[in-house]
Amino acid sequence: MRIVQTRRISQVFFFSLFAWFCIVSTVGDKLWQLRGWPVNWFLQLDPLVAIGTILTTHSLYWPLLWALVVVSLTIIFGRFFCSWVCPFGSIHHFVGFLGNRKKKAAQKVQLNKYRKAQCVKYLVLIVFLFMAAFPSVGATLQTGLLDPIPLVTRSFNLVLLPIADRSVNVTSVAGRFYESAWLIYAMFLTAVLLNLVIPRFYCRFICPLGALFGVIDRFALWRIGKNQNECVNCRLCEKSCEGGCEPAGNIRISECVLCFNCLDDCKHELISYQTRPSLAGEETDTDISRRGFVLSLASGILAVPVVRLSNKLGSNWYHRVIRPPGALAEEQFLQRCIKCGQCMRVCPTNVIQPGGIDGGLENLWTPVLNNRIGSSGCQLNCVACGQVCPTSALRPIKLSEKLGIGEFAKIGPIKLGTAFLDRPRCLPWAMDRPCIVCEENCPVSPKAIYTQECFNTVRDGILTVKKATNETIETVEDNLPLDKFATGDYYCVIEEGDERTKIVGNTANSIEISPSRQLEEIPAAGSKIQVQVRLQRPHIDIEKCIGCGVCEHECPVSGKKAVRVSAEGETRSTDRTLLLKG
Amino acid sequence: MNEQIDKELDRRQFLTRAGKAGIAIAATGAVSYLFYDATGPQPRSKTEELVTLPDFSVPQTAGQTMSIVKGYDRVKTVDKAMELLGGIERFVKPGETVAIKPNVAFASPPMLGATTRPELVAEVVRLCYSRGRAKQVYVTDNPINDPASCFRLSGIGKAASRTGAKVILPKDNLFGHTTLTGGKLIRNWPIFFEPFKKVHKLIGIAPIKHHHRSGASMTMKNWYGLLGGRRNIFHQDINTIICELAMMVKPTLVILDGTQVMMTNGPTGGSISDLRRADTLIASCDMVAADSYGCSLLDLKVADLPYLTKADRAGAGTTNYESLKPILATVS
Amino acid sequence: MGLVRRRVRRPESAISFCLMAVLVFTGLGVFIKQSDFEMARFGVDVATAELPLRESEKSKDDQTVLSSTVPMGFQSPSKIEIYNTENLYEKINGKAPLYTESGFEKLSTQRFVNTTDESLWAELYVYDMGTVKNAFSVYSVQRRAEAEPFPPMRFAYKTSNALYFVHGKYYIELVGSAESDELFRAMAEVTRKIRANLTVDPDAEIAELALFPQEDFVSGSIKLYLVNAFGFEGLTDIFTARYKLGDETVAAFLSRRSNAQDAQAVAKSYYEFLINNGATPKQTAKKILEGKIVDFYGTTEIVFAIGPFVAGIHEAENQQAAEQLAERLFNKLREVLGSANNE
Repeated sequence: MRIVQTRRISQVFFFSLFAWFCIVSTVGDKLWQLRGWPVNWFLQLDPLVAIGTILTTHSLYWPLLWALVVVSLTIIFGRFFCSWVCPFGSIHHFVGFLGNRKKKAAQKVQLNKYRKAQCVKYLVLIVFLFMAAFPSVGATLQTGLLDPIPLVTRSFNLVLLPIADRSVNVTSVAGRFYESAWLIYAMFLTAVLLNLVIPRFYCRFICPLGALFGVIDRFALWRIGKNQNECVNCRLCEKSCEGGCEPAGNIRISECVLCFNCLDDCKHELISYQTRPSLAGEETDTDISRRGFVLSLASGILAVPVVRLSNKLGSNWYHRVIRPPGALAEEQFLQRCIKCGQCMRVCPTNVIQPGGIDGGLENLWTPVLNNRIGSSGCQLNCVACGQVCPTSALRPIKLSEKLGIGEFAKIGPIKLGTAFLDRPRCLPWAMDRPCIVCEENCPVSPKAIYTQECFNTVRDGILTVKKATNETIETVEDNLPLDKFATGDYYCVIEEGDERTKIVGNTANSIEISPSRQLEEIPAAGSKIQVQVRLQRPHIDIEKCIGCGVCEHECPVSGKKAVRVSAEGETRSTDRTLLLKG
Repeated sequence: MNEQIDKELDRRQFLTRAGKAGIAIAATGAVSYLFYDATGPQPRSKTEELVTLPDFSVPQTAGQTMSIVKGYDRVKTVDKAMELLGGIERFVKPGETVAIKPNVAFASPPMLGATTRPELVAEVVRLCYSRGRAKQVYVTDNPINDPASCFRLSGIGKAASRTGAKVILPKDNLFGHTTLTGGKLIRNWPIFFEPFKKVHKLIGIAPIKHHHRSGASMTMKNWYGLLGGRRNIFHQDINTIICELAMMVKPTLVILDGTQVMMTNGPTGGSISDLRRADTLIASCDMVAADSYGCSLLDLKVADLPYLTKADRAGAGTTNYESLKPILATVS
Repeated sequence: MGLVRRRVRRPESAISFCLMAVLVFTGLGVFIKQSDFEMARFGVDVATAELPLRESEKSKDDQTVLSSTVPMGFQSPSKIEIYNTENLYEKINGKAPLYTESGFEKLSTQRFVNTTDESLWAELYVYDMGTVKNAFSVYSVQRRAEAEPFPPMRFAYKTSNALYFVHGKYYIELVGSAESDELFRAMAEVTRKIRANLTVDPDAEIAELALFPQEDFVSGSIKLYLVNAFGFEGLTDIFTARYKLGDETVAAFLSRRSNAQDAQAVAKSYYEFLINNGATPKQTAKKILEGKIVDFYGTTEIVFAIGPFVAGIHEAENQQAAEQLAERLFNKLREVLGSANNE
């Protein structure tokens, strides 16, 4: 069996496994749902995630120990991950193959030649690592933007899967929605289409993970190389070279992705995977110039303080950034979030959305709640998001911590924010229309929304009596909309302060009164009565409100909601509290 | 023969590489072990190291705990008040460093009485240097308005530099989190800490002001300036926070300036008409006692300011200032 | 291109197969990992909670309902057991008469065992009592002293390891093996499922509960004795309620008979029963209670009839408190009758 066949099988295997993990990331116990599937395995294997979080948090979160395996194997064997495991790499490999298979061998050799620009990925890596490494200027983890595993995970989970599932509805009951998915798609598509220009474009020029592997594989015990000196220089080995490492001559070990195509293509069996260095020479150093290094260093160090000048982590924080339950305080959160989109994928109500830059540049593609989307705000009895976060930017909290019961009863529930009524838009407050949808849907007990009853005389509600009996009042006005007052919310009173009686119906010129509550005295002809609407006006009890957003989701004022959640009062931040505790 | 040598070289190279690879793996393993985190981040991480304000008080001498001096010239009254308590040298020993915490809360001119008078600060600094033979005096506060403007417009910045004291403006890295033992509100809360960490003595100097929320602002409320973070949240329970401030801060002494008392529209005032001359200056080792006497100058009683009784009960001082036998004097 | 296939060397083949084996083991490992899961850590079983119940699924008989009540993180090791009046004794032994004399029809029981911790289990008893009144009766007379309310349900209470409630004509008990938060959560989930899926008559009401005056009423103290209340055969369908007047605890009772004549007869016969058993009539200042108060071996008993109601005070220590409460009760019932007459 040829090694390249195994490699291809491995690519198919890991790619299918990755796709399967994306598909099953729906909470549930069926075989095609989450169950115990290790859906974060690829992210845990990714050493850039591990190293990034070590730099920002000075700790290695235990599930990321898998990265140690990959690093160790890379040190010994070389960049096997890139062409045997990485699902993004497999996509590039395949598209590159499709795009170029009709070309002549000479053309392909040209496409695969080493280019100086391949050093850019090392500079990208340096920028990201330095952004992560200096706490005094503020550490931030932005590796997730270009790290291939988080990138391909969010592209699949937030773009490809929702579209593929639209007609079959296997991964969710209703369709899924994700804001700014177009941007994620654009990035993905660009990377994929660039393979038609140069194969494995992303891998060679951009991928910081590949760069990381390129740096650590310099001591590899086995490497690709020529095992004899007699070579006719046909260059067939470079026809399908995936890494652009020039195995025909001075092979660049840091660029070789162990695709073994050269080994397979050489008709003279000159290339092997061997312990001795290639007889045609090998180069283990990465090709970064000092200038390039210094430039990236400076960019990386400056990037964070420059971004933080907006003071989005201080008093200028953006109130619409409502993070999922279990999120760490913002600065710690940004040290861990790799923007993989797992939480957005798993959220049963589809309320977690990829954030935009209005919360600051660092907010891009981090999880933010949008209560307008999905089925219901943050579901009360659900803690799924924290369970799938690979870096614990969202802690894997227990339900008892979220609800503030049991051992957490003293601290109280986790609050994501607080709901604020927009009274000028609220039906009972401003439009004299009865509505208590928000209060009805508030899931906490006792409810965080309570109502106060009030009676308002309706527009054109002062009517003149023509003739009245115990049950009916005929009015002089004869333009009353038919049965407008029949909903059970309307009352009739002679003078403010009197006993009210309920209206059960009306015609154009008469009002029918409830038989069980008669008027104390029958109004005389010519006197005035008032028609009043009974309103229950909602108030938010900010002590009890947990900011779950169900009220915002259900509010019938569906454009700009009359009750909206804002992040004040979120329990994850001590400086954004609304109330004095204790 | 060449092949032999080649093989030797290869093998040596391989072993070298193997060695380096092994070290690399070991290093990675070591890093993983060192940083290994088995539990993940915990809720409301209390990883901040808590700081505690030192106790700056000196041993009490019966009969020399509180002095009340009447007079219009602050320099003269404070000199007298200190003399009556045994002189500044009782409190500040040669070579020591002193921090003075005046009220610099607002970018307000001295004559409006919203801040401590600069001449008073200057005189106390001078006393520390000349009679106390202090090594270095610092003047510091964490104002409500922009710090640089506050120190400038209140005249205190100039008063300090004129007399050789160093002004310390608040910066983020000068704060530390603290929890007050027995405190309900000051729990894991940031306080302006660095200037006070290294000094030997702490003197608070505050004017007597009416305060819309708490009733009055005197020497106890003066310590509000030590609070950092979103401290305005404590206005929801103002009496408890003032009491906790009195429990948290143990100054060497406090000076309460009742020469011009802000009777209305405190704490910012804004009009000369808000002020009333009371020509009184109080120096005291017990801030609760000082405030208890001072409130009378605002036409208030101890009972009108619940934080006084709270602090008395908490053991931060006594509202019964008479029991301290304050020494009274008048200067021309 | 017509290339001659390269001859594959043995080592290459061997390594390829080894790597294939690695892939196979990886796949196996992943597959094994997927079966080791605990849905409880995600919170509520959101996958099924998301799907709206179709109408046809909503009305199920209690068999299918019970089988669907298994909470997350638990399994049901055994089948549902059914008992009727004949063999109820086999399940609950001496308690059986309490139920059988109160209209019992059927008992369905099921056990739930925690998947990870076998010692954590709960047993569900669903007693079909025929009517909501019967269910309320067996619920109320067995109410434990250390009962805590279980909002938002009205007829429900919990103790440190169990949950008891009334759902329509069913009296339901959930008894846990230990005092455990996890167990409690599971029991709450079972309760929710039962309330959602087990259809009961929504209009079934116990009107008498609202007839007790509110002042000084001890919440949750209403009991319904279907037969032999206070040891007297003639007293059937008696609701009792406890009141705390100052330091005195006083128990009031009432019952709705078919008509005023029947009420008079019952009141009279109970009064005579008390006298025959040694009670002595007592004087009272209150007109309405004249001739209705007796002293029964140191405790005060009051019984009167008003309209179709029989009501009174039972075993009160303090006559004054008893009279006061009796008066309130009388007034309340009169008010109810008055407004009823107006309708």
